[in-house]
Amino acid sequence: MRLGALEVKLQPRASLPGWKAALISVLAIVVALLLFSVLFVLARVSPLEAYREIISYAFFNRFGLPLSISRGIFLLLCTYAFIVPYQAGLWNIGMTGQLYLGSLAVYAVVLALGGKANPSAAYPAGLIIPLLMLAAMAAGAAYAGVAGFLKGKFNVNEIVVTMLMNFIAFWLVSYTIKEGGPFMGGSGEGEGFKLPAALNAPLVAGVPFTAFLALALAVLLTFMFAKTKVGYEIRAYGKSPAAARYAGISGLRIPVLVFLIGGALAGLAGYHYFAAVPGVYKIPTNYGYFGDLAFYGIICGLIALGHPLPAIPVALLFGGLSVGGRFAQGKLHMNFGLDYALLGVLMITLVAFQFFYRYQIVVTRLEREPADVRVLR
Amino acid sequence: MFEFYARSLEASMIFTFAALGELINQRSGVLNVGIEGVMLFGATLGFIVAQTTGSYAAGFAVAILVGALLGLLHGFFTITLHGDQVVSGMGIWILGFGLTTYIGSAYAGPLGLPRIPTVFGVSPFVFLSIALVPVVWFVLSKTSLGLQIRSVGENPVVAEVSGISVARTRYLCVTVGGMLMGFAGAVYALNYNPVWNYNFLMGWGFISLALVFFSLWNPWILLGGSLLFGVFWQLALNPQLVLPGLMSRYIWRTVPFAITLVVLLLMSTPWFRAKWGAARPEALGQPYVRD
Repeated sequence: MRLGALEVKLQPRASLPGWKAALISVLAIVVALLLFSVLFVLARVSPLEAYREIISYAFFNRFGLPLSISRGIFLLLCTYAFIVPYQAGLWNIGMTGQLYLGSLAVYAVVLALGGKANPSAAYPAGLIIPLLMLAAMAAGAAYAGVAGFLKGKFNVNEIVVTMLMNFIAFWLVSYTIKEGGPFMGGSGEGEGFKLPAALNAPLVAGVPFTAFLALALAVLLTFMFAKTKVGYEIRAYGKSPAAARYAGISGLRIPVLVFLIGGALAGLAGYHYFAAVPGVYKIPTNYGYFGDLAFYGIICGLIALGHPLPAIPVALLFGGLSVGGRFAQGKLHMNFGLDYALLGVLMITLVAFQFFYRYQIVVTRLEREPADVRVLR
Repeated sequence: MFEFYARSLEASMIFTFAALGELINQRSGVLNVGIEGVMLFGATLGFIVAQTTGSYAAGFAVAILVGALLGLLHGFFTITLHGDQVVSGMGIWILGFGLTTYIGSAYAGPLGLPRIPTVFGVSPFVFLSIALVPVVWFVLSKTSLGLQIRSVGENPVVAEVSGISVARTRYLCVTVGGMLMGFAGAVYALNYNPVWNYNFLMGWGFISLALVFFSLWNPWILLGGSLLFGVFWQLALNPQLVLPGLMSRYIWRTVPFAITLVVLLLMSTPWFRAKWGAARPEALGQPYVRD
């Protein structure tokens, strides 16, 4: 295409250096936020004021900031749950179901220990809290493992499987906490029973300890992908399952493994949100709202291009935006679901920006033809 | 009991419209996993327009239009920009889920229009959905347009060489398919259950997607599957009609999803693939880059 003396061409990228990828990702977020301001304009709210409210509540308010961090860590764990299978070229969109299963496992253990009947008993927290986390991770891993097994063994589409299992898990939670289900709380309002106070997760600097665990996991996962044999196998499988098979990498082991790891991390997200975040400590009535937030994990994972470390700032930003969005929605009298709308706009912008990860726009200045050549024509 | 089967038929009509839309997409080689998002958009915008104008026709028209636009968007990402079909479809689903939650929440509650009159005790759309099946079958397997669509879905390189525009054919299919998905959403929100709620589709789109795999890309089998799943869906909603007191009603709600899983698994066994595997459009899910 020619624009005056410039020629504009689209070229597939041979390679994409890290800083350029980061630049594209940041640009995608900025464009999404610009697009999103249309919603504020439509609601007759000044976008600048709205963003100021959102950011100041999310990151500069002593009530908002801990909420943002807890929410961001939740999203980060969900992002890991997406990233690990994504590195193997597989789509885990079942973080929602896996984290539900994780939280069910937590409360099943608490129930078995008598925590529902006797909430004020003294429990050895140092012993039981790790047990709760292990239970959550095991349940999430087992649930996700089904999708990995079906993919590896029978090549069943993992997107459909994980999504169907999300719905199954959603109704299982309803069964356990409503209408006389085993985990129903005493209030009879259709929510789960409260975690005994002795088992509330310890806070470090005002945030649940799981936050620091989640940050450490980024380093661990990065190490796994970059330096270990299994990480290499996962990435090789992601590049080409067929080629990986020729290289002797099992076509069953890798899908099962990545879903087991992903599911365990999603299960941990379930533990974090429903048993470690101050003010929650139970499976709430609106658990579906938190479960659906897990889809932010897909977006963070895509923006971070499947890398755990860059996912940290992205997840914390989105955690803050979703907390701040909910606050601004109330303060500025906007419709329910502002944070969901942001999720949608971010996602579709990101899809459009996928193009720039693969293609580059090359602009070259055309040499002006010398006058004598023009005469010859 | 008649009421039960009537409602089952009405559930299956929604599966049929949505899954036929997806089937048309997939026969041309384009996978659209965003079907639930398109349905949510059609349902929500159709609901709002019908409620504010008082006209069902306007609601359905807007739903079809928005379905077409989202189909075009999917086409733009995947056909023109050669993007990953799964990424684009997921984008459309999350966009639909996120944006309709925000747009629709101001309209939460019942539609408040007189119900669309029934024909022989069921929704008129039941007959429309059944009538659409032979039409789609005829177009796909008996007309030159259908041959064109199928060849683009099987082998776009050969199709292009023989003078068929792959891009145009695929654009046509994603647009028409999107229209059907948007319409399916509107049938849900304007006729089947005219109440707007947060994320009320709860998996109808994903079950429709699974139904297309189940149908082996054949509209007649798809109709059979839809009828079967309509019954399962109603059973899950009203278990007391058949087996009162057997399980919690919440456990029953998982049944259609569990059955879909088992069916998908059976269809993916080597035995089944050896027998029927050839039905899958060869180029499904692959972007076509002309060089």
